[in-house]
Amino acid sequence: MEICFFAALIVYFAASVLQFIGSALKKDGLNKIARVAFGLGFLLHTGYTVWRGFTAGRLPLANQFEFASGFAWAIAALGFFLYWKLRQEWVMTAAMPMAFLILSYAAFQPMQIKDIMPALRSTWFALHIGSAAFSYAAFAISAGLGVVYLVQLKKGKSADDPRMKQMDYLGYRIVCLGFLLLTVVIFSGAIWAEQAWSSWWSWDPKETWALITWIFYAIYLHQRLRLKWQGRRMAWLAVIAFVLVIFTFAGVNLLLPGLHSYAGL
Amino acid sequence: MKRILSFFRSMTFGMILLAAVMALSLAGSLIPQQEEAMKYVNAYGAQTAALLMGLGFTDIFHTWYFYALEILLCLNLLLCSILRFGRTRKAGERLKQQAIKAACDQPFADESQFQKITAYLSGQRYRKTESENAVLYSKHFMGFYGSFLVHLSILLVLLFGSLVLMTPQVTDQTVMPGETLTLSDGTTVTCESFHIQDESGKLDYASVLTAASPDGKQSKTQEIRVNEPLRFGSYKIYQQTYGTAGRIQIRNNSNGAEEIQYMTEPAFLAIDQRNGIYFEALYPGYFRDEDGNFTLITSTDRSYPDPVYRIQSITDGMSAAVLAFPGEEINIGDITFSFLSPAEYPGLRIKRVSGWLYGGLYFSFGLMVAALYLCFFAIPVAVKAAKEGYVICSPKNQEGLALALEAEKSQAGKNP
Repeated sequence: MEICFFAALIVYFAASVLQFIGSALKKDGLNKIARVAFGLGFLLHTGYTVWRGFTAGRLPLANQFEFASGFAWAIAALGFFLYWKLRQEWVMTAAMPMAFLILSYAAFQPMQIKDIMPALRSTWFALHIGSAAFSYAAFAISAGLGVVYLVQLKKGKSADDPRMKQMDYLGYRIVCLGFLLLTVVIFSGAIWAEQAWSSWWSWDPKETWALITWIFYAIYLHQRLRLKWQGRRMAWLAVIAFVLVIFTFAGVNLLLPGLHSYAGL
Repeated sequence: MKRILSFFRSMTFGMILLAAVMALSLAGSLIPQQEEAMKYVNAYGAQTAALLMGLGFTDIFHTWYFYALEILLCLNLLLCSILRFGRTRKAGERLKQQAIKAACDQPFADESQFQKITAYLSGQRYRKTESENAVLYSKHFMGFYGSFLVHLSILLVLLFGSLVLMTPQVTDQTVMPGETLTLSDGTTVTCESFHIQDESGKLDYASVLTAASPDGKQSKTQEIRVNEPLRFGSYKIYQQTYGTAGRIQIRNNSNGAEEIQYMTEPAFLAIDQRNGIYFEALYPGYFRDEDGNFTLITSTDRSYPDPVYRIQSITDGMSAAVLAFPGEEINIGDITFSFLSPAEYPGLRIKRVSGWLYGGLYFSFGLMVAALYLCFFAIPVAVKAAKEGYVICSPKNQEGLALALEAEKSQAGKNP
């Protein structure tokens, strides 16, 4: 079944390239093919994830490979949902490369299925890790939209263009969703930590970086809601914030050992 | 005074505090915390290490300035919560009045469009209020409280969180299977059994504990493992660590006295202080090559597959290194040392907690999630529909609703 995973990776890549060319050349046909390809990749990815879950007998989000794969899957799922709601090509232009990049990262991680370690056997596991995957996915799409927005600005599109405004607004709304989910991640993690390690907060590097990310997005939201920041500045903030997300997700496991060290296994 | 108060409750001040907490957290995650001084000297050099320790950067989350930041953040949240509550209390009524007074900027071409729009809004569960010559539809007025509740809940999380972290009495204790601990108030905790691996060989680290009240009237037996602590009264008992202890039976052949010693650290076992054994360590397993030489395995996270004792046999002050295996005996003088199968034992964390503080913290968590939902996804809106047209009033962007109503309007007459 690993073939499904790698097939999904290749199809995501092909879809991203087609979407990029289609958007650059304004060829709707190419974008449509890209969407179909992305849908096919999503089905393969879903199939692989379901197979892995059944084979392991648990939710397949227990190590770095599985979480990265789940993260990419959540980006694709959220991308399709937003496209279905808005029917805007730029949603897919943002989501496709993000899903591909995160799945590429997963491909470099050890893939073998291992027993879940005792600390992860908890009813909080699904809520904590599942909401983290979707929270990060929301931030990834927001950053992707930020990049698309900045590229469009660079190409001379006006910030007053209705599409640009819509892109800017969606970028903010999706951060709202990600922020809510990140809060759920932190709180469910705190309750779980109290049950497992006896303290709801230990300043473990993963916890600390989750807090740093949360504070950065809180600042983002305040700038938007109270200072009415929009457009270019918010797009940059979304991109910078996603760097923090990536460090919290991957960098902490690689560079800062702590209670969450098993996440890198 | 008014200006000072206004600064303390301002968003700018809040943002400065958040940025400062973020920066200190960043430093705290990059510099190892609460390590021994020599570790910092080795890692950063004597001068930098002294500077880091002097500034408190080696235990940054417990410095006075980190606590001061938290207190100031609480003050900022408290003041801005009070301010927001005052503002939001009458916001719903204000929005309704604003909608009633607003001119309809989306005109209807005919009566059917009015019918279509009002039917759509009713179907979307908007609250309907009749007013003179118009109908007012409103929804999500709880959303006005979203921002206030978010700030209040962060304040509560900080307060309850700090109390929960600071107040519990925590003790760590190892206990051998069959042993009973007596806690400060007389409550007893007996370790009935412990295993590292379950029957199928999976790592499990589970203890069966029995806790009993001081008078013995109440008791509870439970298997605890990571994620499944034992709750008994105000105590919470966690499966924290584990170990494997050597078991050596010492028999005095002259009088028949026997005792079993659990060995976790090097120790000299003797009766006359001259003859006996010096226990060095217990090893999980070993390899034996063709020449009969032993290579000892030093660690495992599982049960010991082939345990071996490394001891010094001491007779009249003369020592000899010996490897002993479970089931073997050594006689020194009148004493027989029998090496038994090792015992796996748990390390327990015993915490005395206040239930209502935890209740408060978890309530604050729930409140904050609900408040964020209200803040982001329950955006208050009022739609005034009159014969001549309609108008949408909301403190935030209502593009989605505007598009939906536009679509409904254009459908009027096509799908009766």
